[in-house]
Amino acid sequence: MEELKNIAPNLSKMKKENPFGTPKHYFDDFSARMQMQIEAEKHVANDKDFKIINLLKPALGLAASFAIIFMLVYIPIKTFIPQEQVIETIASTNYSDNEMHSILEGLDESSFFSLLNNDDNDETFSDDDLLAYVSSNFNAYEIFEYTEE
Amino acid sequence: MQGTDKNIIADLKDVNKRDLAFHQLVGTYQERLYWHIRKIVMNHDDADDVLQNTFLKVWRSIDNFREESSLFTWLYRIATNESITFINSKKKKSFMPMNDASEFLMDNLTSDPYFEGDEIQLKLQKAILRLPEKQRIVFNMKYFDDLKYDEMSEILDTSVGALKASYHHAAKKIEEYLKSTD
Repeated sequence: MEELKNIAPNLSKMKKENPFGTPKHYFDDFSARMQMQIEAEKHVANDKDFKIINLLKPALGLAASFAIIFMLVYIPIKTFIPQEQVIETIASTNYSDNEMHSILEGLDESSFFSLLNNDDNDETFSDDDLLAYVSSNFNAYEIFEYTEE
Repeated sequence: MQGTDKNIIADLKDVNKRDLAFHQLVGTYQERLYWHIRKIVMNHDDADDVLQNTFLKVWRSIDNFREESSLFTWLYRIATNESITFINSKKKKSFMPMNDASEFLMDNLTSDPYFEGDEIQLKLQKAILRLPEKQRIVFNMKYFDDLKYDEMSEILDTSVGALKASYHHAAKKIEEYLKSTD
């Protein structure tokens, strides 16, 4: 207060009165109005939760249906079809080099060799077919080299 | 007050007692917060809106109150921030420069049917409105509400030294305005 007298003598002489007023019973009513607002706020919060669940319901239902269908189809296949048959199915399908490489990497050694032995090697060639294949894929020097070995 | 505040806080955090405790909180602090807000926004209707927003914010964030400051300080801080946000939104809507709200607040003051002061008080309010926003808030809190600098420092997140300087500058500017309009 002393400081105020020094820096602002006119201001310090003024009465510190609140010049503002409010409507009658404003503070008596305010608490009740606030209570109503809070009740409304609670309803909004509840509605929001309810709406989110409602929005998610169809998506969740769809996802659950897909999961059930997947389980119904995948689990019997996995359980009842023997592993060898599955490998055979994989091998007989047409794959790109990369896909084939990754499939082969996934096989253990014994599966790999059994796959090789079971391969479609029972095709027979006539001498003419063999001659035509060799002459179209190898030159004379390569044939000479192979026969020397 | 400290003991009552602690009870109110404990009850507010208890879901079963929350409604009653909030009613008690509003009853305890509504007047002090109203006058603080009113001196910032100047007009009764706006002060009423901001006070409601303040208590709504308190209701929504009561679980986040970590009791690092007193309840009173926390409430004052929310009320101050809500008041400043309100003025800024008004400024945006009326395309006013961000640092100048004095004209809008002057209109608020002169058009307010609940201003009951005499000419000298009106002059003082006009002088206060010419201050920059921060100085105005500091001056009101010190001059009218008699808050301690420590409390103001917590509410406004400003050092005590800076607050003292703000109050000093504000008082000097008001004095100059009062002299020049005599």
